[in-house]
Amino acid sequence: MKKSIFLAIAVAFLASAADPAIPFKLFKLKNGLTVILSEDHSAPTYSIALSYNVGSRDEKSGRTGFAHLFEHMMFQGSENVAKGEHPSLISTNGGSLNGTTDNDRTLYYETLPANQLDLGLFLEADRMRSLNVNQANLDNQRNAVQEERRLRIDNQPYGPTYLAVEETAYDAFGYKHSVIGSMEDLNAASLDDVQEFFKRYYAPNNAVIAIVGDFKTDEALAKVKKYFEAIPSQPAPPRPDLSQPAQKAERRKTLEDAFAQLPRIDIAYRIPDGLSPDYYALRVMSQILGGGQSSRLYQRLVRDEEVAAGSGAYADQRRGPGLEQIFVTIRPGKDPAAVEKAVYEEIGKLQTTPVEDWELEKIRTNAHRAQIQSAQSTLGRAAALADETTNFGDPNLVNLTYQKMAAVTKADIQRVAKQYLTEENRTVIVTLPKKAAAPAQPKQ
Amino acid sequence: MKKLHLLLLPCIVLAQTAPAPPAKSGVEPPKNRAPVSKEVLRVKLPRAVEMHLDNGLTVLILENHRLPTISMTLELRSAGALYEPPDLTGLASVTASMLREGTTTRTSKQIAETVDRLAANINAFAGQGGVGTSMNIFGLTENFDQWFPLAVDILLHPAFPADEWAKLKQRQLVGLRNQRTSPQFLSRERFNRAVFGSHPAAIISATPASLEAITVEAMKKWHDERYTPQNSILGIAGDVTAAQIMPKLRSALAAWKKTDLKVGGASPVTPAAEKRVIIVNRAGSVQTNLVMGNIAIDRRSPDYVPLVVMNQVLGGGSTARLFNNLREDKGYTYGAYSSLSAGEYAGPWEASSEVRTEVTEGAMREFFNEFNRIRDEKVPSAELDEKKRSVVARFALSLESPQSVLGFAITRKVYGLPEDYWDTYPAQISAVTAEDIQRVAKKYLTLDNIQIVAVGDAAKIRPVLEKYGKVTIYDVDGKVM
Repeated sequence: MKKSIFLAIAVAFLASAADPAIPFKLFKLKNGLTVILSEDHSAPTYSIALSYNVGSRDEKSGRTGFAHLFEHMMFQGSENVAKGEHPSLISTNGGSLNGTTDNDRTLYYETLPANQLDLGLFLEADRMRSLNVNQANLDNQRNAVQEERRLRIDNQPYGPTYLAVEETAYDAFGYKHSVIGSMEDLNAASLDDVQEFFKRYYAPNNAVIAIVGDFKTDEALAKVKKYFEAIPSQPAPPRPDLSQPAQKAERRKTLEDAFAQLPRIDIAYRIPDGLSPDYYALRVMSQILGGGQSSRLYQRLVRDEEVAAGSGAYADQRRGPGLEQIFVTIRPGKDPAAVEKAVYEEIGKLQTTPVEDWELEKIRTNAHRAQIQSAQSTLGRAAALADETTNFGDPNLVNLTYQKMAAVTKADIQRVAKQYLTEENRTVIVTLPKKAAAPAQPKQ
Repeated sequence: MKKLHLLLLPCIVLAQTAPAPPAKSGVEPPKNRAPVSKEVLRVKLPRAVEMHLDNGLTVLILENHRLPTISMTLELRSAGALYEPPDLTGLASVTASMLREGTTTRTSKQIAETVDRLAANINAFAGQGGVGTSMNIFGLTENFDQWFPLAVDILLHPAFPADEWAKLKQRQLVGLRNQRTSPQFLSRERFNRAVFGSHPAAIISATPASLEAITVEAMKKWHDERYTPQNSILGIAGDVTAAQIMPKLRSALAAWKKTDLKVGGASPVTPAAEKRVIIVNRAGSVQTNLVMGNIAIDRRSPDYVPLVVMNQVLGGGSTARLFNNLREDKGYTYGAYSSLSAGEYAGPWEASSEVRTEVTEGAMREFFNEFNRIRDEKVPSAELDEKKRSVVARFALSLESPQSVLGFAITRKVYGLPEDYWDTYPAQISAVTAEDIQRVAKKYLTLDNIQIVAVGDAAKIRPVLEKYGKVTIYDVDGKVM
């Protein structure tokens, strides 16, 4: 108990004195659980974000979709909590909850009134310590997850396109397959898999709990210890190798989509991980290229030339190698190849010509606004603290986004555009509407 | 400003030793071992200040200085699509969209660049069937003096340039085509037609023909006649005081003149009389999107409060009966819910889910089992108490957001609800009895005239749905097959 590390974090770096930093204190329990506490007494509420260091990146071939399926199992009850009791207790006390899985981590969260701190901690600790799984619940949640896949992917236009981008652009298996997984692999998941996965990854030493809101830090820490510290740690889980050979040539695929009405082009470039100095330059570049109505792609392709129905660009922030993703939906009768060429012309301008002053000002004011608005919800801050710690090992990264965005120069943007947005580094997925009524979606 | 202390849950039995929930539910009996604080939570109910401009505009101001931001919502309650000429469907919506496409002194591109450069939001929106146009404005306190005049310019001096309308129209025509790929759009389109009949709310989207018929002259006329201050409410929440903001409003909005236009009440809506089953045949669908229900009440109805609680029991979220039955017990779906729309005119209660095609029959059976159960059986007291606590506690927590408190103030103003309506809301919810729930369920969840819409593979689901009534099949373009 006395061994908890105490770190007071200085947050005096901020560019503007008006920007509210997120203060926090960082602790580590004896069993390896990382604890981040951030007091905020402006409203009588608090949020817990509990992040487990496991995502679809950790899945093996033949078991894709398992991390997310497992997330559903975490709501099926534990030693002292019946199936359905966790959501019911949260709801009855005015709170909200959910879980979410991505490539890199699995996050669970609750928001509750401040006087229910024990309740939230008890519920999270009980399922970390004693998850109750049985075949009936596994079968039931497998069905729910398969319906989630149908709802989001198989029954929607461009659903298979989203999966094809990652499948084609990545070589590393951990990122090559989707978070939702394949129907076949979901069918193959067994109760043994669930138990094994729980033991391996859902251990305190593989988790970060961040709590933000109306409490006193010493009291909250005592409660976290009371509920969590007796949970035994486990051997550190193995980590997947996400390294991949450099891409040598463009990769290109064309899909036919029975639900789509408009052709669509997705262009993905391999970029470095989200902690890399180049990542923020790519993020700024993406906003200039494709963020909102004043962006270059929207103004040219959607508004002026009227060849596109929609467009966008973003730099995917991952723990491992990311993707710069650009998409354009194309208007009926317009030539997808000509639109693709226009996108490359816009990329060429980013490589050869400095961006304009107002474009950088837009980035800075919007980053400043995002920083201010992060103080609005305890949940957003808790999730950000837990995510930065799980993915990059440093909760204080939440306080550095503004500076990192504001520090990007015109030269940085030109440099990263030249370095990463090259022909040999790109993947292009062209989706075309399938003409005849088709019985089924393209299989992926 | 008067500050009230709202004592939560004063007269609700704490249901921590609840008996087993009903057998049909997928959840187990609670173990009741989790620590729950019995302490009464005290929440302040902040009050918005009501002011008026000489031109008749009502201003509601809710001060909150936690963050250096200001959000405004302008409800233009004489510019609703409800009042559109029948052949110009979409006029209210496109007029709202065209506000940003050029003013007498700014081009569309300048507006887009300036709004983004200031990190502000300025958007106007008018939904089909709606009673108003809403303008949402948000920005930082530090550059208020830049974004606020821009928002006023967009509101009062739009130029409706013909070339911009030509471009926007093309974008919207593509949008009309694209939305038909969405099963959610297709089910909403048919459901609104079914429940609203000849009322304007039956139409949820413009058509290519109506867009072609809309001219910039029609938009100018609509803007001149229908954007009236005396029928509008401006809500402001955030880092302002009435003393600071009122002089700025008076000066900036001086050119916005009062007119004689009065808003007539919305024409009444009655529930569809005949049961109907509508299938939209969407080739290749692997799920059936089900929506069913009928017209219930408007927002002023005395049955609003009991229906809110009934909905919470039946399908309001992931702890309600529909979710527990169709997902947690049967595994038919990712989610199953019910909802209630109640505004100026009566709107529907409805239940919906997306289920894999093969279990459409089982899903329909369970929906009707739940409809019958809530009509035929009194809600057990533990379940009722839990749901009422949930509604009250969520209301109390929502008071922490200035935007929601402002929303409550606007709702009270718009519907002429009593001055103390929100102060007494928790007590009103707490007073709902199992008898009340059964009464409103029997009254509004009538199954002999229910409207059922299913989007999916018609060949596979028709035999299932025929058991519920005469089936009409549409194609994805909205034509009867």
